[in-house]
Amino acid sequence: MTSISALNYTHKLGLFGNHENKNEQNLLKVSEIKNLLIVQLVKYKNSSVSIENIDIDNLKLKNEPQSVISNKDTRILWNGPYNWFLISIKKDLLKVIYEVFKNTEFAITDLSHSRAIIELEGNDVKEVLKKGCPYNFNIFNKNNCINSTFNGIAFTADMIDVDPYKVRMFSLRSFGESFYHSITDSSLEFGYKAI
Amino acid sequence: MLHIKCPHCGLRSQNEFTYGGDATVKRPELNKEISDQEWDNFVYLRKSPRGNHLELWQHISGCRQWIKVERDTLTHEIFKTFKANEEV
Repeated sequence: MTSISALNYTHKLGLFGNHENKNEQNLLKVSEIKNLLIVQLVKYKNSSVSIENIDIDNLKLKNEPQSVISNKDTRILWNGPYNWFLISIKKDLLKVIYEVFKNTEFAITDLSHSRAIIELEGNDVKEVLKKGCPYNFNIFNKNNCINSTFNGIAFTADMIDVDPYKVRMFSLRSFGESFYHSITDSSLEFGYKAI
Repeated sequence: MLHIKCPHCGLRSQNEFTYGGDATVKRPELNKEISDQEWDNFVYLRKSPRGNHLELWQHISGCRQWIKVERDTLTHEIFKTFKANEEV
């Protein structure tokens, strides 16, 4: 079976908006990220297991708000109290997850195909986000993540880098097209390159 | 717009929350015999205070947790927020 990405029919490559007379290197870049492993991990309320002893892809879970722990392949986003999103380019990590996290202690849900993922890169990223999201992005730093809304659409933002800003955003797949249009409409003012 | 300090995520916009009603209402004890009147009071009867009010809110677009918010219904000032299982 062929897998079709969430924004397959929406994401068109090229230059858009106020891009004329601007250096293409400095333009905002919009891309769709595909083929990631996305797993939601939730520790049951009655579970007594200690998360400090759990090691997944050499990363230890941390119950710290808005924090991301990461290595070059995997990022673990805090999603709520004892609730995490594990994002990885290693698809085979799912098997390890099922071994490491006992299903009597954790609810493990593979969400890989249920999210649309957009990555924004450039110096104007925070300005784009500020247009639709009520969060104070002035305090949004590297390896921070938030759940919030963008023009009414619930999304998760993960700050991967700050020089230049690089933010990965996840929305429900069924809202992906609306979310994409919302983000790209906000980006027109600055001009963007869809890659 | 209100800003509500989620005890889990920090200060966030009201847009991320949904209102969940009066937090002072106590459900009748499980398996206890109660009259129709008592049940009716639990389901429908609410105070509508002018001033300090303890409310339930859910951070639906954030951490999805239920929280308690102490708010002035007249001025909308928020005095304090608590985790759902915290005693006020």
